[in-house]
Amino acid sequence: MIFHNLRIAAKSLRRNTTLTVLIISGIALGIAVATTFAAFRHAFAKHPIPQKAETLRYVRLDSWDPLKPYPGNDPTQPPTQITYRDMRGIMQSKIPMRQSGMFVSNMYVYPDPKISRPFRELVRLCFGDFFPMFDVPFRYGSGWDAKADAGPEAVAVLSEEMNAKLFGGRNSVGKTVRIADRDFRVVGVLAKWEPNLRYYDLTQGGVRVPEKIYIPFNLIKPMQIRSSGNSDGWGAGGAPGFDGFLQSETCWIQFWVELPSPAAAAAYHDFLNAYALEQKKTGRFARPLNNRLSTVSEWVDVAGAVPRQATAMLVVSLLFLAVCAVNLVGLLLGKFLARGGEVGVRRALGATRVDIFLQHIVECELVALVGGAVGLLLSLGALAAMNAWLKATAARGDFFHLDAPMILLSIGLALAAGLVAGAYPAWRTCRLAPAEHLKI
Amino acid sequence: MEFGPILRSMRRNKVRYGLIVAEVALTLAIVANCVNMIGAARSDMAKKSGFDDENLLNVRSTPFSPAFKEQGYRDNSVAQDLQVLRHIPGVRAASNTGFLPWQGGGSSTETRVAGSKGPYLRNQIYNADESTVDTLGTSLIEGRNFTHEDVETDTVRLRDLNNATRERTADGRAVVPFAQNVIISKAFAKLLWADGKALGRSVEDNDGDTYRVIGVIDHFYNPYGWPIHEYVMFYPNKNNSQGGGAPFLVRVEPGKMAAVRQQVEKALLAANDGRNIRVQSITEIKSGFQAQSALLVWILTLVIFLLLFVTSLGIVGLTVFSVAERTRQIGTRRALGARKADILQYFLLENWLVTTMGLALGVALAFGLNMGLVAQLNGTKIDPGLVIVGVALLWVAGLAATYFPARKGARVAPAVATRNV
Repeated sequence: MIFHNLRIAAKSLRRNTTLTVLIISGIALGIAVATTFAAFRHAFAKHPIPQKAETLRYVRLDSWDPLKPYPGNDPTQPPTQITYRDMRGIMQSKIPMRQSGMFVSNMYVYPDPKISRPFRELVRLCFGDFFPMFDVPFRYGSGWDAKADAGPEAVAVLSEEMNAKLFGGRNSVGKTVRIADRDFRVVGVLAKWEPNLRYYDLTQGGVRVPEKIYIPFNLIKPMQIRSSGNSDGWGAGGAPGFDGFLQSETCWIQFWVELPSPAAAAAYHDFLNAYALEQKKTGRFARPLNNRLSTVSEWVDVAGAVPRQATAMLVVSLLFLAVCAVNLVGLLLGKFLARGGEVGVRRALGATRVDIFLQHIVECELVALVGGAVGLLLSLGALAAMNAWLKATAARGDFFHLDAPMILLSIGLALAAGLVAGAYPAWRTCRLAPAEHLKI
Repeated sequence: MEFGPILRSMRRNKVRYGLIVAEVALTLAIVANCVNMIGAARSDMAKKSGFDDENLLNVRSTPFSPAFKEQGYRDNSVAQDLQVLRHIPGVRAASNTGFLPWQGGGSSTETRVAGSKGPYLRNQIYNADESTVDTLGTSLIEGRNFTHEDVETDTVRLRDLNNATRERTADGRAVVPFAQNVIISKAFAKLLWADGKALGRSVEDNDGDTYRVIGVIDHFYNPYGWPIHEYVMFYPNKNNSQGGGAPFLVRVEPGKMAAVRQQVEKALLAANDGRNIRVQSITEIKSGFQAQSALLVWILTLVIFLLLFVTSLGIVGLTVFSVAERTRQIGTRRALGARKADILQYFLLENWLVTTMGLALGVALAFGLNMGLVAQLNGTKIDPGLVIVGVALLWVAGLAATYFPARKGARVAPAVATRNV
C-alpha cells in the first residue's frame, strides 16, 4: 500500500513541476537554516568527553578578596582558577583516582638547525595523570609516571603534529628535544587528538586545539616557568621573586580531578571545604565558603564556552523553519484542493477517507524528505564556509560537522515539518464531497 | 470600498488567511529581532579606539639567545630596536609598550581616589614610554607627557621595588609607599572625580602606593573582558623580559604600511639575530577580534533576506490560489461592469487587510521574542523604531507580492463568466 501511495505521490509531484520545486525549495531552505544553526551550536555544546561525564570534576576555590567577589558576570562564582599554594594543599588528598593541576607557558624549542630556527611554542605543564584522565590517545610510547612527576624528570610528550615537525613523523620515543634551557627525553607521541573544545582549559575561550608539547608540572620550580595564560590577582602584592609569586594569592592554575563515584565526589567536596576552613585559621579564605566541584558540562556552561549568540540563532532558525512550514500549508492547500476530480473518482471507486488522507500525508512526507535532503546538502555547504572562516580567523578548521545526531535531527525536523504542514490540507482534501466533483 | 465582501470571504476561509497572518507575524518578529541583533553587533564594531589604528603595527621580539638573560643586555637591545625602527623610511614613531589595541583584553588593576574610603575601581594599566602617546596617534588634552628621564628613573625604582621584600603594616599596606606619575584617560578621570578635573590629583592602590595624574589623554577605548573599556592608566616603565620578550608599537606614515611591514623583521634581525620577530598590523588584530561579530552580521542578514523571500512566496501562493478559485466570480463582476482596476483593488485590499492583521500580531510577538532574548541570552532591548521600519517593509513586500498575481486576475475576460455554468 505504501508503495502504491508513493507511486501516486511521485506522479502527482511530476504533474506541476513549478509548484513542486517551490514546495521543495521552501522546505529545503527551512531545513538548511535550522540544521546549520543546530550544528553550529552543537559544535560548541556537545560533550567533549561523554565517557567521563560523571567522573571528571573541575575544582574552584574561593580564596578571593574578602572585600569583594571575583569580578565577572556572576558575583556568586569563585575565581576560575586556583592559586599555586592551594594546588599543593589539595593535592594531598587521596580521594581522587587521578588529579592534575595545569597551565600553559610560551617556551622556546630549539630544533636541529637543519629543520628550523628556534621557535616559541605553547607548552602545557601538567601531571602524568593528565593523559589517562582525559583519555588522550597515543601513537607511540605513553605519558610519564609518578616517578617522573616526583623527580621531576625532563620528559616530554609531543603531539602528532609536533612530532612530524621535529622528527619527520617517525617514532621519536627516547629521542631528545631541547626546550628552554634543558634537554627533554620524548616519552610519548600523541595520535590525532582534537576535542571540539579545549575543555580542560577554558580560560581563554574554548575554540582552541590542544597544545603540541606536554612536560611535568614540577619542573616549574627548577626552571622558573611562568604562565602565559590568564592570571587574576587581588590585594597587596606578595613577596618578590619567583617564590614570592608562587606563594601569592594570584589565581592561575586549572585543576581537575577524576572521582570514581558520586560518593567520592561528595567526600572530596567535604575535603575541599575542610581545607578551606583550615586555611581560614591562617587568615586566608576570608570569604564565605564557596568551593565548586563542576562536571565538564557545568564548567563549559559557567565558563561561557557556548556563545549565547549561538543559542539565540538556533531559536531564530527554528522560527524560520516554522515560517517555512506555515508557508507550505498554503501551497499544499492550493495544490490538494484543486484535485477534487481525482479524489472524487477514487472515492467513488471505493477509497475511504482514511485512504485519501494517508495518500496525501505520504505525498507531504515524500516532499519533506526530498526537501530535507536538499537542505542537508545546503547546510553542508554553509558549514564548510564557516569552517573556512574559522580557519582564517582562529587557525582552527574542521570545527563544524554534520555528525549522526545532527543528520537525524535534520531528518526528524523535515518529517515533522511535512506532517505539520500536510495534516490540515490532507484532512480538507479527504473531506471533499465526491459527488460535487463528479458532475461535469 | 469593499470591506464587506472581503471580510465575509475571509470568514469562510479562516485557516487559509490565518496562515498568512501567522506567517507575516512570525516574519516580523524574526526580522525585527535579527535587525536588532545586527544593530547591536554593528554599533560595537563601529566603536572608535581613539588611536591611528590603520597606521599602527605591533612588533614583538622574543629572544632565544642566552645573552638576553641579562637585564642590561635586554635594555640595550630595546634601545637599539627603537633606533632601528625609527630609521626605517616611512616610520613616524615607535614605542616600547605592552599596550596592544583590539587584542580583546590586557592587564588591569584596582585603584581609588587617594585618601578616600570609597570602593576600589578597576581600570586597565599599561607601561608606556615618552613616545607612546604620539605613537598611538592620540593626544594629551591636559598636562604633560612622560619624559625620557621619567622612564629611566621609574624603571630603576620599580625594579628595585620588585627585587626586595616590602615591609608591610598589619593591614597589608606598604610601610614606605611610593608615588608614581601616571597619564589617564578622560573617561577614567570623570569616573574618579565628578568634576573630571584630574590633573595633579592622585589615586591609591591596595598597597597604599599613590599615582599622581600628570596628563590626561583624549578618547580611549580598548575592549576588555570586564566593563572597563574606557578606563586606562599609563605609567612610565620599560617593558622587556627574558620569557616575554619586548613589545613595540610602530606608527607609519599614511600609505606606507606595506613598505614598512616588509622591512621590520629584516631590519631588527640584522641588528640582533638571537630572537624571533613577529609583526602584525592593528587592523589585522582588530578584524580577528571582531571576526565573530562580523560573521553574525553576515549570517543574520542572509537569514532576513531568505525569510522575506519565503514569506513573499507564501503571499504570492495565496493570491494565485485565490485568483484561480475566483476566476468565475471575477468574470461575473467584470460582466456586471467592474473595471480591471476594481478587481486589482479588491485583491490588494484583501491582502493589505491580512498583512495588517499579521503585522499587529507580529508587533506583539517581536517584543515578546525580544524580552525572551534579553532575559535568557543577554540580548539587547529592541528599538521600537526598528519595529516600525519592519512593519513598513512588510507592507510594501506584501503589496508587491500581491500585485502581479492580482493583475493577472484582473485580466480575466467577462466572457469567462458565461462558460460552464
